[in-house]
Amino acid sequence: MMSNQESAGILILGIGNMLMGDEGVGVHVIEKLSGVELPRGVECLDGGTGSFLLLDPMQRARKVILIDATVDGAAPGTVRRLTPQYAKDYPRTLTAHDIGLKDLLDAFYLLGDRPQVVLFAVSIPPPREMHIGISPEVERAVPRIVRMVLEEAATGVGGVSA
Amino acid sequence: MARVVVDPITRIEGHLRIEAVIEGGRITDAYSSGTMVRGFEKILKGRDPRDAWAFVERACGVCTTVHALASVRCVEDALKISVPKNAELIRNLMFCAQMVQDHVVHFYHLHALDWVDIVSALKADPAATSTLAQSISNWPKSSPGYFSDLQKRLKTFVDSGQLGIFANGYWGHPAYKLPPEANLMAVAHYLEALEWQKEIVRIHTIFGGKNPHPNYLVGGVPCSINLEDVNAINTERLNHVGKLINDAMTFVNQVYIPDLMAIAGFYKDWGAIGGGLRNYMSYGDLPTVGYNQPDSYKFPRGAILDRNLNEVFEVNGRDGEEIKEYISHSWYKYQAGDEKGLHPWQGETEFNFTGPKPPFEQLNVEGKYSWLKTPRWKDHPMEVGPLARLLVAFGKGNTEVKDVVVDALGRLAVPIDALFSTLGRTAARGLETKLVVNWMKGFYDDLLANIRNGQVSTFTREKWEPSTWPAECEGVGMTEAPRGALAHWIRIRDGKIDNYQLVVPSTWNASPRDGKGQRSAYEESLLGTPVANSEQPVEILRTIHSFDPCLACAVHLYDPEGQHIHRIEIN
Repeated sequence: MMSNQESAGILILGIGNMLMGDEGVGVHVIEKLSGVELPRGVECLDGGTGSFLLLDPMQRARKVILIDATVDGAAPGTVRRLTPQYAKDYPRTLTAHDIGLKDLLDAFYLLGDRPQVVLFAVSIPPPREMHIGISPEVERAVPRIVRMVLEEAATGVGGVSA
Repeated sequence: MARVVVDPITRIEGHLRIEAVIEGGRITDAYSSGTMVRGFEKILKGRDPRDAWAFVERACGVCTTVHALASVRCVEDALKISVPKNAELIRNLMFCAQMVQDHVVHFYHLHALDWVDIVSALKADPAATSTLAQSISNWPKSSPGYFSDLQKRLKTFVDSGQLGIFANGYWGHPAYKLPPEANLMAVAHYLEALEWQKEIVRIHTIFGGKNPHPNYLVGGVPCSINLEDVNAINTERLNHVGKLINDAMTFVNQVYIPDLMAIAGFYKDWGAIGGGLRNYMSYGDLPTVGYNQPDSYKFPRGAILDRNLNEVFEVNGRDGEEIKEYISHSWYKYQAGDEKGLHPWQGETEFNFTGPKPPFEQLNVEGKYSWLKTPRWKDHPMEVGPLARLLVAFGKGNTEVKDVVVDALGRLAVPIDALFSTLGRTAARGLETKLVVNWMKGFYDDLLANIRNGQVSTFTREKWEPSTWPAECEGVGMTEAPRGALAHWIRIRDGKIDNYQLVVPSTWNASPRDGKGQRSAYEESLLGTPVANSEQPVEILRTIHSFDPCLACAVHLYDPEGQHIHRIEIN
């Protein structure tokens, strides 16, 4: 594999569109983490809805901690920790970026190199009009998500997993 | 009569739904609906025009850079800023990197599975695949062992029941014509393209600081050139860019183009299907002596009517009578009435949803049925995209373009009319990729020459401060996104955005019909398309995907549980 950078070890990847309100919660979490000193070998990335562009950073990591929104009917701000193996293991997200990311994870099997994946799925209400900023319910969950993500990162690669 | 609903056709950047009426095995009418609302205009009003690029860049995970480019250009156009030569070259390099990456990804990951049967690849003979691959290209990864290993991995993956990226194809459909060996070769290149595409976009990280959302700057580019400075565009980074460009040329010429021509050879009948509209438009891009000199562009600006390549009309984004958006069939309302067309500087974005509450069976196509407005050029529906770009260049007598087009037609032994088709659209995308990687090398050489001559300026501070701006001004930033003509229109008042309108390529192509009943490109292109099995309408996907609907990653049709959906109603 061609790479001009050392393996990051652990990649914290926030996914979402910040123009779609709560749907951008993953990106908001990355913004919060940008003010925190991270352990060695842990990197953060605002993935936006980057799809194919995310293959490289994900492939370079040995463990990927994803934060993404899901529209699953649970109370807004509910956070679930999941360890999906295949595309079909992902929760319903309804958002425009889900297929790309899931496809990439499946593509890893064929490319012969797959990082460990832990997903923090954050429940949001169905997105409506475009707007910037997240709702109070989801905002309240952000410090908890940040804590969970940092704890996950602290377990290291191949750490405790469900 | 059957009505086939394909929803969604894409999962990114505005969900798209197609309803097609099929009679006697052919499509007799079609409706295209954008089912996701946009509302950038509302987000941007009142903001600093110099920040707009950072918001519009988030429109889409694929087209980040082109939206940012259109945005800084519209602000510069309004404020009459000319960027330094190096900034033009660096923007061109970023434009080319994105177009080449996007076209390769489209061909292998979004469109190939409409033509390539993955499951058939399991039956291929690796030795015969190797012979085939070596007969069409010098690309080194072509040994029998290479294809045999890949086939084993593919078999393990398919046997695990996790088709994943390959789920939901219409495998075994009689419309698939490739022999198993060609299918296996295509799967190999599907994976190689996935690995390769991540390299070329490093150019965005080098010049734009980060990816997937590189930085842009009104007045230039946000990177400084200093060959000795570790934090600037230095010798090491420039060498890296040079290597990436060379690798891109090799991949395009040794993998993409040979595959395209080989696959096209099996599907020549699609050179007579899916033509659709007879009008084509390109805003043009890749300036060589400034944005305000469209005659200097590598991709020329112009419009063609009724497929007459002997006449190319001027296109002026500032003329209030040329480009207008209609909403007769769109979920918006205009203050002066819904039948009026508005130039984007006068554009309004007031939602007026009158459609059914989802989930629903069928749209009311007599009334409003889409979140896309309907743009028209001098009241004509226009197709935009790679085919439009090549036809406009061809019509303008551009010899570089003429040569690659004539050569490809000759090698496939098809007439020039085959360009006006689904196959023509897909071929045009590959042919322009070949041109773009060459141009990219030229821009790179020019940049190096400038630097050697001591020119390192990348930004002009003139007009940066709002105190230097007029109280009111307006601008248009035109570009060519991979999928077609893209422009942003801005009105600035007292240093803030007063109005901001985007007209994106998929709006031109995927919009609903206008008040006169004229169809836009997607709807028109489906007319007459044969559909062998309305339960598995792969033919609809072939034509719609040939436009590269604004999607990043939807390979095929999914619902949120991962199943494809299409419904059939017999009326």
